Parts: sequence; C-alpha cells; structure tokens
Amino acid sequence: MTRAAFCPAPLRCECWQPGWCPRPSGPSGLQLPACAAGPRRLRRGSVPGEPAAMPVWLRESGWRQTLTAVYLELPLRGARATPANIFCGEQYLKVSIPPFLFEAILYAPIDDTNSTAKIENENIFFTLYKKEPAIWDSLTLANADKEKLQHLRENAVLKAHEKAKEETEAKKITKQEHKKYALEATMKLEEAERKRIEDLKEKERQKVAKELELWKKQQKDAEKYESLQKKRELHQEIKPLKERKNEKMNKTRIPNEGTSKTRLKSTKGHGSSSMFSQNLKEEQLPAPRSAATIKVNFTPRVFPTALRESRVAEEEEWLHKQAEARRVINSDLSELEDLKEEEKNPDWLKDKGNKMFAMGNYLGAVNAYNLAVRLNNKLPLLYLNRAACHLKLRNLHKAIEDSSKALELLTPPVPDNENARVKAHVRRGTAFCQLELYTEGLQDYEAALKINPKNKNIEEDAEKIRHLIQGTMQSS
Amino acid sequence: MSVGSGLERPQVVSHVQQGLSYTVFDCKWVPRSARLLCLGSAARGTGLIQLYELHGARLQLLREIEKPKPIKCGTFGATSLQQRYLATGDFDGNLNIWNLEAPEIPVYSVKGHKEIINSIDGVGGLGIGEGAPEIVTGSRDGTVKVWDPRQKDTPVANMEPVQGESKRDCWTVAFGNAYNQEERVVCAGYDNGDIKLFDLKTMSLRWETNIKNGVCSVEFDRKDINMNKLVATSLEGKFHVFDMRTQHPTKGFASVSEKAQKSTIWQVRHLPQNRDIFMTSGGSGSLHLWKYEYPAQRSKKDSEGSEMGVAGSVNLLQNVTLSTQPISSLDWSPDKKGLCVCGAFDQTVRVLIVTKLNKI
Repeated sequence: MTRAAFCPAPLRCECWQPGWCPRPSGPSGLQLPACAAGPRRLRRGSVPGEPAAMPVWLRESGWRQTLTAVYLELPLRGARATPANIFCGEQYLKVSIPPFLFEAILYAPIDDTNSTAKIENENIFFTLYKKEPAIWDSLTLANADKEKLQHLRENAVLKAHEKAKEETEAKKITKQEHKKYALEATMKLEEAERKRIEDLKEKERQKVAKELELWKKQQKDAEKYESLQKKRELHQEIKPLKERKNEKMNKTRIPNEGTSKTRLKSTKGHGSSSMFSQNLKEEQLPAPRSAATIKVNFTPRVFPTALRESRVAEEEEWLHKQAEARRVINSDLSELEDLKEEEKNPDWLKDKGNKMFAMGNYLGAVNAYNLAVRLNNKLPLLYLNRAACHLKLRNLHKAIEDSSKALELLTPPVPDNENARVKAHVRRGTAFCQLELYTEGLQDYEAALKINPKNKNIEEDAEKIRHLIQGTMQSS
Repeated sequence: MSVGSGLERPQVVSHVQQGLSYTVFDCKWVPRSARLLCLGSAARGTGLIQLYELHGARLQLLREIEKPKPIKCGTFGATSLQQRYLATGDFDGNLNIWNLEAPEIPVYSVKGHKEIINSIDGVGGLGIGEGAPEIVTGSRDGTVKVWDPRQKDTPVANMEPVQGESKRDCWTVAFGNAYNQEERVVCAGYDNGDIKLFDLKTMSLRWETNIKNGVCSVEFDRKDINMNKLVATSLEGKFHVFDMRTQHPTKGFASVSEKAQKSTIWQVRHLPQNRDIFMTSGGSGSLHLWKYEYPAQRSKKDSEGSEMGVAGSVNLLQNVTLSTQPISSLDWSPDKKGLCVCGAFDQTVRVLIVTKLNKI
C-alpha cells in the first residue's frame, strides 16, 4: 500500500502535519508555495491534526468481507486520486484528496504491506488482508471517541514512519552487501589473473634454469674430451717441441716463464700443452707499441662537478652574477680621488681586510671592507668577511645584517658557493645565539647542516643550542 | 609493460641473487666457465676479489682474495684463454694483473695514475681480434693510458691534458676497431660530457664531441671489427648511439639519442652474440634491453658531396627493475647467450637470464 507523506499537498510545505495544512506560510514566516489546496485562512488556529476548513467527507459505497480479506469500494465524487493521497496503517485507513477526506478506524488490524488499492476513474477499490482471520462485525470501530481516534491516527502515522525508516535501512544494507560482493568478485578475478602471470613467469624461470644446467654439463663434457685429445697429441709432439722451447726460453722475457710452470688446472687440462702453443703464437704477436703521448684539450667548464644538462641554467646564472659583480664599480664618490690606485680595487681591499683580520686588527679590517663595499656592493665575500669581523667586535646586529646580505647575494645556490653559504649561516647563527635568540640561531645552524651534513663542529654546536633551548623552556 | 601480451618478448629472469658483505664495484664472468668474479671494497677499506661458481640456483664461493686497496674495475680482455689473468684498477691508481691461481704477487704491477682508476678495458686476448694485448685505463687525474703487459712501468700511449689546462675526470674507456694488427682506437668519456676518440695507429685525436652530460659508460658493439657502433651513456638518463662507419669531416659521426630512465645510466653492455642488442643499467636499479635498427641507407651525401652517416633507431625490448640502488656493473657471459651478471650498490650480485634472444 502506498502511503502519503503527512501533508497531502503535492507541493512542498513545511507543516508535515497529518491532515490539512493549517497555514499558508511555514512556521518561519517565509513565503512558501501555497499548498495545492489553495490559500487557507487561519481560522481554527494551530491545532495540529484538525483541518482548518471542514473537509468533505467521503463515504464508502459498499464493503464485503471474507474470512481473510475485506473488500472496500470508495467512490471519489469527481476527485482524481494518486497513490500519494492514500495512507494506510495497521488499523487506520485514510484517503485525502482535498477537499475530500475519507477516514476509517478499522475494526481489527490488517496486514498493510500486502493490502492493495486499485485506483480507477471514479472509485478506489481496496483489498485489505486481515491479520487474524475473523468475521468483522462492521468495517469501523463504532464507539471510537475523538481521543481514541486521534491516538490511533497518530500511532498509525508513527508506525508508517518507522516502517519507512526500516525499509530504507534494509535497502541500504542490501546495497552494501551487493557492493561487497561485487568487490570480492573483482578481487578474485584479478587475483586469478595475477596468479596466471606468476605461473607463466615461474615456468619460464624453471625452463631457463634447466637449460643452464644442461649447458654447464655440456661444457664440462666438452672440456674433458678436449683434455683427453690434447694429452694424446702431447705425447706425440713432445720431443721436437721441447727443443724449440729451449731456444725460446733464451730469447723471451718474464711473463712467459710464469706460465711455464706446469700447473694443470683441474677444469682445463690445457696446462702443459698450452705453454708450447703459446710460445709459438708469441712469434706472431707484434712488439709493444712505441710509446707516445697525445695532448688533450677539454671543453671548458668552470665548476669541478660533472656536467648535467638540467643544472646548466642555474650555473649560468651564478656565473653571470659573479661576472657582473666584478664589473660594477660605484664611482660617484668624490672622496675616491684621494685614494691611491690600488685602494680603489675592491679585491685588493678585501685582501687587506683579510690580513688585518688575521692579525687581530678587527676595526681596521672593517674599515677596509666598508670601503670595498662602497666601491662594489655586489661581492658577497665582502659582506661575509665583514660579518666575521663584527662577530669578533661583538657588533651582533651588524653581523646578522651582513650575513643576511651575503646570503642574498649568494643565490642561486650552486655547489660552487656551498662553502660561502655554510659560513654565512654559521656566522649568523652564532650572532643570534649570542643575542640569546636561540631558535633563530638553531634555524641557521640547521640550514648550514643541510648544505654540508658532514661538518662535525656545526653538528655539535647545533646540539648545544638545542639543549640550551630545552633548558630555557623548562625553566620558564 | 604487460607481461601477458608480451610473452613473445625477451624476459629478464632473475636466476640467483647473492647478498654480499662489501660494496661491489665490478662483476665479470670468467671466460669459458660458469664462474664469475666480484670486485669491490670491504668496509675496512681493503679490496676484495671473490670467485663464485654457479651451482643450480645458488652461487658457491670458491675463493676470496683480499688486497690492500679497494678495487674499482677489472677486465679479462687482454689475457689469453689459457691464462685468464685478471687486470684490475684500484682506488690508488695501481694497475695490477693477477693470476687467480697464485694471487699473492701480481704478474704485472704499475702505479699508473695519481688518482683512482675509474675504468679499464683490454683487447687482444681471449682469442678475439688480432694484435698485441693491451690494457687501457682511465683515471680521475684526467689521463688515459694504454699499457702493454710486456713493457714495464711506462705506458705505450698516454692521453693527458695540455700543460696548464685544468683536468677533467675520465670516467670510462673502451677499445675498438681492432680488426688487424695495426689498427686500434680508444674511446674515452669524461665528466664534462666530452667523448674523445684516439687513434693508436696514428697516435692522434680522431674525433671528439660533447654530449652535454657527464659520460658514464662507452662501449663499441664489437672490439675486433671495423668500428660499427658506439654507445655512450650519461647522467640524466640519456644515451647516444653513434654510427661509426662514416665520419664526416666537420659533423663527425651521426647519432641517435634516447632518454630512457630518469636517473643516471651507469653501464651499457652489448650482447656478445648479437651486436645490435645491448642492455643499459640505471641509477634507479632498472635494466633496459634495447635493439638497434639500422636505417635503410647507412650513409648519404650532404650538400657539399661528402659522405655523412645516418643513424638508425633504438627500440626498447624489455625493462625490469631489480633493486632500489643503482646497478653499477653489468657483464654478459661470452659463452651462454642471455646469461648475465649485474652488481648493484645494495651489496647484491644477481645472475640473470634473458630469454628468447634467438627470436629477435
């Protein structure tokens, strides 16, 4: 038996109440499409279950019964019925085609799953199967009062609801089972296919192994046969060859003497005979070549690493940057006129700075680097070295600035500037740590380790910093 | 590569797998036998030579020889079939020739290079080809030297950088064109992508080119014929096949190149029984089996009328991944078609059989 949703209206309406729709707009006040029944006025208020306007009651035209079934005929008085208009519970039957309404509390419970309703133009024919075979006194319960009616109605509705839920559940479960089954079937098929391929491969392997054994056996047999042959020949030829051999021994040099020790190899019985035949062949080999040298030029490559096509672009960029950096000279400073020629050369100044650093004159070194930077601010090494000086002078912020600037200039990262980058990271890391910014310092140390994982000093320092960080975290 | 439909293609079957306790750098079949050699470096910094015999489905260790310096490469190419002496190059630049029956003292020894000998090749032995037996070594010190085991201490040919030029590592060497007693060429590949062909008869540089990636391995398809094809493998998964029959005065040799594997191609080895089939081994632990197809016409005339070579095409027959580490060495057995051994950096040596090579 098909059953209607709560609201008989074919259009969506929020009311979900059995029976009629009491209001034209939903509870939220939104303007919803009006129920097909047309606009209704709020007369009897919001009592659920009670229609606002009086429905037109339908009455069955006749009913018959047998022991197991009840046959009901309901004329429709011109209304069109669809399965959605019919609602049937265990003991409750309702047909609602607004404004017509037919309601019946049945005498005894029926089997609503198997019962049927046949909709024809003017009538609906119900075939209701009784739950218990018995003869009903009447179709409906006679002394039903309003409350009981209401109760029954609600029960019926609830039951129908539950049944609907159960059905969907059951459907879901069957669907899942079907899926599972399908999956298992595909898995089995694929497994079978795989096994087949494995078997084929295995067969090949075995075949091949057998062939190999056969070949080995053949080799051994062939060798044995050959060795027997040679032995026979040996005995015949031994005398004249021995004399020739003695002649040869005087002429030829060391490597052959190594072979003349008669060691008969167990697998090849060629030992003594081969010595003779080799001596003969010796004559036919040409003398060693006269020594000569060929000079070779290589396709030029700046980097010591092997050439890889994918890295060529990066390397080109780096080289280009280096070349440019050397060419750039900031020559718009009037003080430059006072300086000697060599002092205008950033490289010379860098060397001077390095020497002063080595001697411990950090301020002097900083001055040298400063001047060099004014002349050419694209050389990363200047900043790198100046950072080292600042570290020694405990100008930590300046050290950090300079290391950062150096790192900026050391892009793109190629193996060529690895060392410089490691140094920059380590110096910056040290400066951070001395400022007690341990996390930043650790970041830099780890970056340095990433570039050069093999440096023990950096590893140890990184460990120390980690301990420090953990120590401060615990205490705070 | 679906196996199901491709069963007509050659299959690479892994026959034996042997774990080793040292890093293996080179593996070679002992000619005319079912024995193989593994050369490498033990963890304590000494060199190892192990001799195995193939017994059914396993390798049986016959002998282990330890040497003071790790050994990088070895060859049987310059020795006679009866002697079967092994020539090795080690990490210190020493070239030694060993008699495996009495390995305490080398038969020939020379400190040939200042740095590690990366690659070694031999020609004139094993009954293949004609002419004097010679060994060539290529080293990280940028030089390529050719040695004759009958001449002590000095090489018979030395290809070294010009005075004052910065050197490039030589990564690989190979002999070729040894079809009579006088002719011989040496091909060398360097880490800056240079390939140079030296003619030993005229003692001059015959050809050079640059393939834009470091050259890992070069090999002629046959050493003992008029040079036919040269395969050069490089970093970044590329290899080039050069047609060596026709040399154009300016353009050199024609070539076809393939980018096969994402990683370095460590070795190329031609099948001794069919010179158009070769196997490449890669840094991703994979092996690719290739076949070269010749073009309809191997040479044509260019606009000025000089002969120019035409390169053919290369087809992939099969590929298989055996390991996660690079397969650094590969050797075909000269006696059984399809039997090969490969050594990888995961400290295993594998014996493989390639099937259906007769049907190619």
